[in-house]
Amino acid sequence: MLQASALTKYYGSIPAVQDVTFDLKGGQVLGCVGPNGSGKSTTVKMITGLLDPSRGQVLFRGQDIHSDLVGFRKNLGYVPEEPNLYPYLSGREYLEMVGILRRIPQPRLGKKVDDLMELLSLHASRHSSMASYSKGMRQRVLLIAALLDDPEVLVLDEPLSGLDVSSALILKNLIRALGQQGKAIFYCSHVLEIVERVCSHLLILRSGAVLASGPTGDIQKRLGHDSLEGTFHHLVEDVDPIKVTRDILDVIRGA
Amino acid sequence: MIQLSSISAKWDAYVCEPFPVLVRLSITRIVHGSNASEEDELNISMGVLLVLLAIPGGFVSIFLFDKYGSFLQWLRGQTGFDPLAAAFPDEYFFIVLSMAVTGGVAVWWWDSIFPDRRDFSNLVHLPLPTSSIFLANSTAILILTGVCTIDVNAASAVLFPLIVGGAQTSFGFVARFAGVHALVVVTASIFSFFAVFAIAGLLMLLLPYRFFRRVSLYVRTAIATVLLASVATSFAIPNIIRELPRSPQSPVRFLPSAWFLCFCQSLHGRSADALTRLGHVAIIAVLCACALSAITYTVAYQRCFIRLPELAGAPAGTLGRGTSWSFRLFDQFFRTPFQCAGYRFVLKTILRNEAHALTMGGFFSLGIVFASHAMLSAVNGNRISALPTAPVLSIPLILGYCLAVGLRIVFDVPAYIQANWIFRFLLDTNARETVTLTRRIVLCSVAGILLPALWIYAYFWGWIIALWHITVVVICFLLLTEIVFSGFCKVPFTCTYPLFQPAAVVCVIGYALGFFGFAIVMSEFEDEALARPLTRVIFLAVMLAVWYIAHRLNRIFVDRDKHLIFEDRPGAYFDVLHLSDDG
Repeated sequence: MLQASALTKYYGSIPAVQDVTFDLKGGQVLGCVGPNGSGKSTTVKMITGLLDPSRGQVLFRGQDIHSDLVGFRKNLGYVPEEPNLYPYLSGREYLEMVGILRRIPQPRLGKKVDDLMELLSLHASRHSSMASYSKGMRQRVLLIAALLDDPEVLVLDEPLSGLDVSSALILKNLIRALGQQGKAIFYCSHVLEIVERVCSHLLILRSGAVLASGPTGDIQKRLGHDSLEGTFHHLVEDVDPIKVTRDILDVIRGA
Repeated sequence: MIQLSSISAKWDAYVCEPFPVLVRLSITRIVHGSNASEEDELNISMGVLLVLLAIPGGFVSIFLFDKYGSFLQWLRGQTGFDPLAAAFPDEYFFIVLSMAVTGGVAVWWWDSIFPDRRDFSNLVHLPLPTSSIFLANSTAILILTGVCTIDVNAASAVLFPLIVGGAQTSFGFVARFAGVHALVVVTASIFSFFAVFAIAGLLMLLLPYRFFRRVSLYVRTAIATVLLASVATSFAIPNIIRELPRSPQSPVRFLPSAWFLCFCQSLHGRSADALTRLGHVAIIAVLCACALSAITYTVAYQRCFIRLPELAGAPAGTLGRGTSWSFRLFDQFFRTPFQCAGYRFVLKTILRNEAHALTMGGFFSLGIVFASHAMLSAVNGNRISALPTAPVLSIPLILGYCLAVGLRIVFDVPAYIQANWIFRFLLDTNARETVTLTRRIVLCSVAGILLPALWIYAYFWGWIIALWHITVVVICFLLLTEIVFSGFCKVPFTCTYPLFQPAAVVCVIGYALGFFGFAIVMSEFEDEALARPLTRVIFLAVMLAVWYIAHRLNRIFVDRDKHLIFEDRPGAYFDVLHLSDDG
């Protein structure tokens, strides 16, 4: 459903992403992991059409997304990394605005917004200014906004950030369920345990390049690790966490 | 009735379409400001803003009743009163006022006129063509310009012609005067708004985005100063414009406000050729400002908004590298660790936080305008006298007063209030170091004015006079900080907004009277004291005594029971005395 071929992005002369290629089919949940600065966010921005690639292209149902960006975005739900919402709107006002901009008919929109806010425990504060929302509440608002129009493709950039335990549990189950319904889900996260549990496929990035990609189980089996954490450290980490910990303790004591 | 209801139903359906929703969102963003982030930010609603903008025009019109009232003219024995000639300077004042207020609004909305990062992250991934965001924002700007222009000029457009034409028997005169006045002030407002908008767009186009953010702060302050200066000089300029036909090379011909006054005069059929030509410049200037702002906005939208992720992805700039030496200069003055950390925090917040820098810039600009006015009135055709006159003596007092009051007000404006937990966590609320910190910061800032002032006074009037005057000024500032910062028990910028609304008018009047007493009356006293050496010594001694008494009273009665606060709550209206409790 969503293909990236040889995606490359340069900021000036600095390469942020180089030759990232993957094929995300309906029903798959593709987990994108990598350390800070590995190019995850740039990749997300390119596959959502927010950023033009320097080279390569993103295809949706075989067509370049830039040939019909509005058409592609009708089928796209996106949760950005930062819950940067309008503080002078209430949660309900914001979601209604998103619904109108997505051209969801009015009576259906109001009911859908209310139902989703109720289910994600936002109903009581639906008329409060979003400036008073906690990070988790803002994240839930963004999640509802992404799901509002029942999109074919979901791009989630750190969606569990700030969520409480029960909301995180609901979201994990929801992602799995949406995958089973045939949605294509691109899931970007630092939390390896959740990626391991939720994602059927993996895309591991480091310094803007793909280190490994394929079904989660296959990658783990290939590298001989039981957990994704072991696989990740094997592929990505070039620092010894134990040594760094020791060094930090030394500096603290020295201070 | 049926038609009305169907129109209403169609309108209701239309406002739920994506485009009007986007327009509404853009209007809200512009009014609230793009930096509006939290509940604690100062949020002025559109209604309050409109009332505030309409007040100056209305008040000034009412004050002019004294000049145009026929009964008062009769009492003064004025006959053959020519209302158009009499209205010449007032018309100029209204033009300048409308330009200053509308331009000031554009400067205030500078950052929010263009769609920002928040708009990008919320809107661009939705199934909307980016051109619709552009069009919606353009529509919002046009609506707000229209509303703002009408609002700023509405009161004067109605009241001023009625007052000017009150003594006239012909309704035609009043109607014609009203039409011309309204047209001129509205075009002047439109010019002012779009000229500021065009400057913002041009800077955005010419400078790299990050550099634009830094430079725009200084440009906004400079524009605000120019606008204030134009209001402050509005009483002198009309006489120079009157002389323009005789001296056509006068630099006043470059003033936009002069173009609009000439435009007004040519519409009244009262202008000479030179003035008519300047009147045409006004029309061309309005068209140019509108065209330039439209072009720069369109290109800036393409270059900056659409490319926001590219700009965000570029390597970040650095802050504060190589500036630590400047802080080390003052380390001796701020002795304790809290004071050292505190003044660095204060200076960095004022210099880097836009709202604070703008507020301080506004006060300092006000100081420069008043000081320039004092200097002009002192040197206007006069030779330098043996002793400095009162206006000359008042210059450091004016600048310092504006700086001190600006700091006092800006310290009350919170900066990212959520971050104050670190001060709550680390500081002892019973320690009263903040009082010392804030007073020392003010005195350090004023020192920046006093050192060059000392040199200038010494150059013109010798070291004895210079040292005596600067000593008097320093004592005045010590006294001023005692009064202005009395009971101030906060770390600057870390406390919630004070509940200032009930006392706002009293505060404004207090600061205005304080300015008069501190800068004008004090310099007159000083001028008197300068004449006799013995009086100089007595004056100095009295000043010192007054300061010492104020200082002691503050310590004994005001600062004694104060604790460091982070939330400014009103005191209880009554206390429960628990009279029934045992013991």
